[in-house]
Amino acid sequence: MAIVELKDVHKIYPLGKTEVHAVKGVTFEICKGDFISIAGPSGSGKSTILNMIGCIDTPTSGTVIISGQTTDTLSDKEITELRHKEIGFIFQSFNLIPVLNVYENIEFPLLLGKNRPKKNEKKEFIDFLIHEVGLDEWRTHRPNELSGGQRQRVAIARALVTKPRIVLADEPTANLDSVTGEAIIELMKKINRELETTFIFSTHDPTIVEIADHIIRLHDGVVASEERRNREPCRKNEET
Amino acid sequence: MNTWRIAIKNLSRQKKRSFLLGSAIAFGVLIITLINGFTGSFVENVGENFAHIFAGHIFIDGVEKTPTGKTLYIVRNDNELIQAIEDLEIEYSFLTRHSEFSGTLIFEGESVRQSIIGIDWEDEQYFTGRLILKDGSFENMQNPRSVILSDKIADKLKLQVGDRMLVQLRTYTGQQNVGEFTLAAIILDPGLVGSISGYANKTYVNELLNLAPDEYMTLGLYLPSMDDIDPTAEALYRRLAEDVDLFAREGEEDEVNPFMAIMQQIEEEEWEGLRYRLYTLNDMLSEVEQIVVVLNTAGLIILLILFIIIMVGITNTFRMVMFERIREIGTMRALGIQKGGIRRLFLTEALWIGLGGALAGLAAAALVMVILSQIFWGLDSPIFILLKNGYMTFRLSFLQTAANLGLVAVLTLLAAFFPADKAAKLQPAVALRTQK
Repeated sequence: MAIVELKDVHKIYPLGKTEVHAVKGVTFEICKGDFISIAGPSGSGKSTILNMIGCIDTPTSGTVIISGQTTDTLSDKEITELRHKEIGFIFQSFNLIPVLNVYENIEFPLLLGKNRPKKNEKKEFIDFLIHEVGLDEWRTHRPNELSGGQRQRVAIARALVTKPRIVLADEPTANLDSVTGEAIIELMKKINRELETTFIFSTHDPTIVEIADHIIRLHDGVVASEERRNREPCRKNEET
Repeated sequence: MNTWRIAIKNLSRQKKRSFLLGSAIAFGVLIITLINGFTGSFVENVGENFAHIFAGHIFIDGVEKTPTGKTLYIVRNDNELIQAIEDLEIEYSFLTRHSEFSGTLIFEGESVRQSIIGIDWEDEQYFTGRLILKDGSFENMQNPRSVILSDKIADKLKLQVGDRMLVQLRTYTGQQNVGEFTLAAIILDPGLVGSISGYANKTYVNELLNLAPDEYMTLGLYLPSMDDIDPTAEALYRRLAEDVDLFAREGEEDEVNPFMAIMQQIEEEEWEGLRYRLYTLNDMLSEVEQIVVVLNTAGLIILLILFIIIMVGITNTFRMVMFERIREIGTMRALGIQKGGIRRLFLTEALWIGLGGALAGLAAAALVMVILSQIFWGLDSPIFILLKNGYMTFRLSFLQTAANLGLVAVLTLLAAFFPADKAAKLQPAVALRTQK
């Protein structure tokens, strides 16, 4: 089984008196451990698809299945729990909480939900993540004291702190210079290899796209092409 | 780190705005606390001042009714009264035996109505301690026909110390009588009801009233504390009822206070011989207590009006806050916070502002009370009757203060609830997409 499945997904947004058909019958699946890029120009539906995979938006029609659960049958509470447990988010604008420092921003998702880790375990894992993203000396700094690259590293650590199976990154390098952007993608790739976390990121930057081993190219709300590099399609009996 | 700490951190983002909102709440609490503190000691202060003016806390009058229906106030023999007080071992600071009349003072063609109380100056030395002498001397009261008048009466009659004036009155049986007083001293009129009486020697007052030297009209008991008034009066009433005829202290209608109930009986009933009426300062102060209720209600209305205005401010502020943090709300929802968590976060921020403002208001009120209570307003102050020895005093009830804090908390939460609820119900994707 795939970790993410989209079946004939449509998304229509009302725009004043008219409607925008942002996603038009998209179908694909993502396997566990994939490092996948959803590529396409602006307005091709990348962010909309990521939002639906992240369960922060619902499709107008079609089915989104995350870790075997069909999301359209879940209540808001259950979807929130699923999101908290299974999915980590990295945003284009970092979206860190400005009043919290690096450590507290990373810690934030662990304060939510029912199964909270023990204090020692929590601290140990956050310290590990801070070290992994290379921010040991910045742990007590607030977001406004960090560079764009550093902020995105905090966002990556925050996305990973709940040990999610899927991390969604919506244009994670768009607000960064090319060198920093590549470094961020390399970091994501390294974590993907080490922790076997599935990374799904959207981008319109061709150089970043090439780093992915599974590329879905969108155009005008439909899948224009799908390319797997050194990756087989998901096995039907694959354990999620 | 929990919701409380995050809420505090959020408030620190807009320090000026949080401060202004907290200050508005603090101001409301300051006003209501001052009003409550003032009214808390209002009854006690007014009571004590009245006790000074009336020379007692519990009073017993002898009342006779003539065959013609005339009412006479006289205590001919107080053995039974004194025996009852001794039997009950009532602790009192002073026991007074006063006679009183209301007559017309006449001096060089000018006249004025004035109540004159006859006092036994030998036994009631304490009495001079609460009069503020403006002219003359209390020593002059050794002259049996001396009188002490307030500055207002003296001014009206253009009297000076040593002047002699006529007094026209009716004896206790209603006969016309005329006497002569010499002005011994002029005292300060403390204002309000403080100017009701002049003071003379009881022996001469009795003579003018045609009472025997050992007769009088009112026996007064000055107790160590106002708290003792009701239980002592109740016990004394029960004990006296065994030996003497007493007016009932309850009226036919429950709402009639004992003083009014007795007055009604005196007017309507017929009886033979002497009947006593026992009344207390509290009976006379029931009107004052009503003033306190009115003041407290007015205070509460002021608080509510202030808070309706403040609530509008809080609601608007939190709507603004919600808009400012809309993407942050989306982020938090994406990270897994439930709707209730967002609602709780906003409400906690509101609660911090509410409680912080309320505590600051309480602290400010305490400071203002301390400052006001240090100021000597003077014994001749127009608000003398509300003061204690010329100083303002405040008494706050813990329950009332807690209720005010609770009210502030509830109103603040109510004001913040609607924006908080709106924030909680935002779709994460919509919130994240919103451009500010």
